[in-house]
Amino acid sequence: MSVLYNVPHEIPWKVYIPLYFYFTGLSAGSFILSSLSTVFGIKKYKPLALPAAIVSFILLLVAPVCLILDLQQPMRFWHTLVPAFFNPKSVLSYGTWLLTIYPIANLVYIWFIFARDDRMTKVLGTITVPLAIFVHAYTGFAFAVVRARTWWHSALMPGYFLTSAILSGVALLVIVAFVMDRFSENKLMEEVFSDLYNMMIAIILVDLFWVMSFWFTLLLSNTNGFASIIIALHEPLYLWGEIVMGMLVPLFLLIFPRTRRSRAWVSLSAILVVLGVFIMRYSLVFIGFAVPLS
Amino acid sequence: MGKKIKKWGMVIDQRKCVGCHTCTVACKSENNVPLGYWRSWVKGIEKGRYPDVKNFFLRRLCNHCDNPPCVDVCPVQATLKRADGVVMMYYGKCIGCGMCIAACPYDARFFNPVRRTADKCSFCSHRIDANLLPACVTSCIGRAITFGDLNDPRSEVSKLIASNATVVIKPELGTLPKVFYIAADRDLMGRIRISEKYPEAIEEYQKTIPSKLSDYWKR
Repeated sequence: MSVLYNVPHEIPWKVYIPLYFYFTGLSAGSFILSSLSTVFGIKKYKPLALPAAIVSFILLLVAPVCLILDLQQPMRFWHTLVPAFFNPKSVLSYGTWLLTIYPIANLVYIWFIFARDDRMTKVLGTITVPLAIFVHAYTGFAFAVVRARTWWHSALMPGYFLTSAILSGVALLVIVAFVMDRFSENKLMEEVFSDLYNMMIAIILVDLFWVMSFWFTLLLSNTNGFASIIIALHEPLYLWGEIVMGMLVPLFLLIFPRTRRSRAWVSLSAILVVLGVFIMRYSLVFIGFAVPLS
Repeated sequence: MGKKIKKWGMVIDQRKCVGCHTCTVACKSENNVPLGYWRSWVKGIEKGRYPDVKNFFLRRLCNHCDNPPCVDVCPVQATLKRADGVVMMYYGKCIGCGMCIAACPYDARFFNPVRRTADKCSFCSHRIDANLLPACVTSCIGRAITFGDLNDPRSEVSKLIASNATVVIKPELGTLPKVFYIAADRDLMGRIRISEKYPEAIEEYQKTIPSKLSDYWKR
């Protein structure tokens, strides 16, 4: 059998979409880390609360720009915020509102940290943590509801998005904390670093579990699911970039005692994790489009 | 017929289709679809080896699903299902996010490079509202395409559906298409088939995509 004629349409999205996921993910991850001391009251993370919140806010300024740049009609982006156009069935409708409210809540939260008002910081943080979770998880839901593409159509997707978001957030904060520690007088406790490394190890293991679940279900799934996993496993970017470079190598560097003690090696693993999470977003979006539907 | 609500549907008899692409051209000129883009087309495959070889065709268009995934995902209600079942694009609202294109299981949607919005077949809504048949139906040389009201049991489409074994594309997704096929070959029905040359077949397919974006993830 050979195809004589068919019309496949172009991929509608550009690289801005994975970039957008990446930035909101980093932002949500950093914010959750910031809330550890302010909301959950774990005092030893207190020095990280402000830098994490600031990183998360700066990334939030970049993320919607990526989203708007990807639109074919960028000047019409405000249509998403018109209540009359709101589509209660569309995940993206909720997402745009979250993406509007969350940066405002985030900014007020930062203001209260600066004002050293611990009580109000806690109140604002308690409101903002679920926003941070959903502003990232909604992108996972947006993929999970696309039943046309088996690579995306999985209830694991929001969870996978969220854990990798926290992973990238922690890794970015490790880098920020190293830089802070280098240039400031009051040194961070070694214990804080050790906790951050353990957090990274735990979340990488959870991510590997998600990956394993995807592989097993897709390999035994319908023909489209099988096609997508075969494409993924033939794709060096996915197998070597996302799985080996983004997860297995950092995992080894963080567990092996000699590399764990060296800040240079840990920085390398944090950088690899930050890159690996971007490759995860990238391959997730574009491998989904690689399986022909017509 | 009186005031009863209509539900437009289409039956395509692939036994009568000769693969001439007249419907493709009629659609393109009726709806002013830009160069290099198609709202409807005729997929063709060749089966067997000479001398036992045969061509099969499948006339493709938007299925106007009763449960359309594209309508569910649109963040601005730029695509809606009308009361008569036609899934319509409202170009003035569309922001061009591409979510509907990603969500369509039939690859029936595309970005119109002139309008800079999503675009798709509209069952020639401007023609059916004026009591005319869609352009593809009137132009079909084999009269393979029948269009009519699925709610009226005496309409030609209802009679064809009642008296023939019909199939829809990807029924397992529960989209409830309103475009029905008679005698369509299963190898044409959309689902990819597993073969030993699997990755090569996919790469071959990706080369046919006209945009540079198709190799975005290869860079």
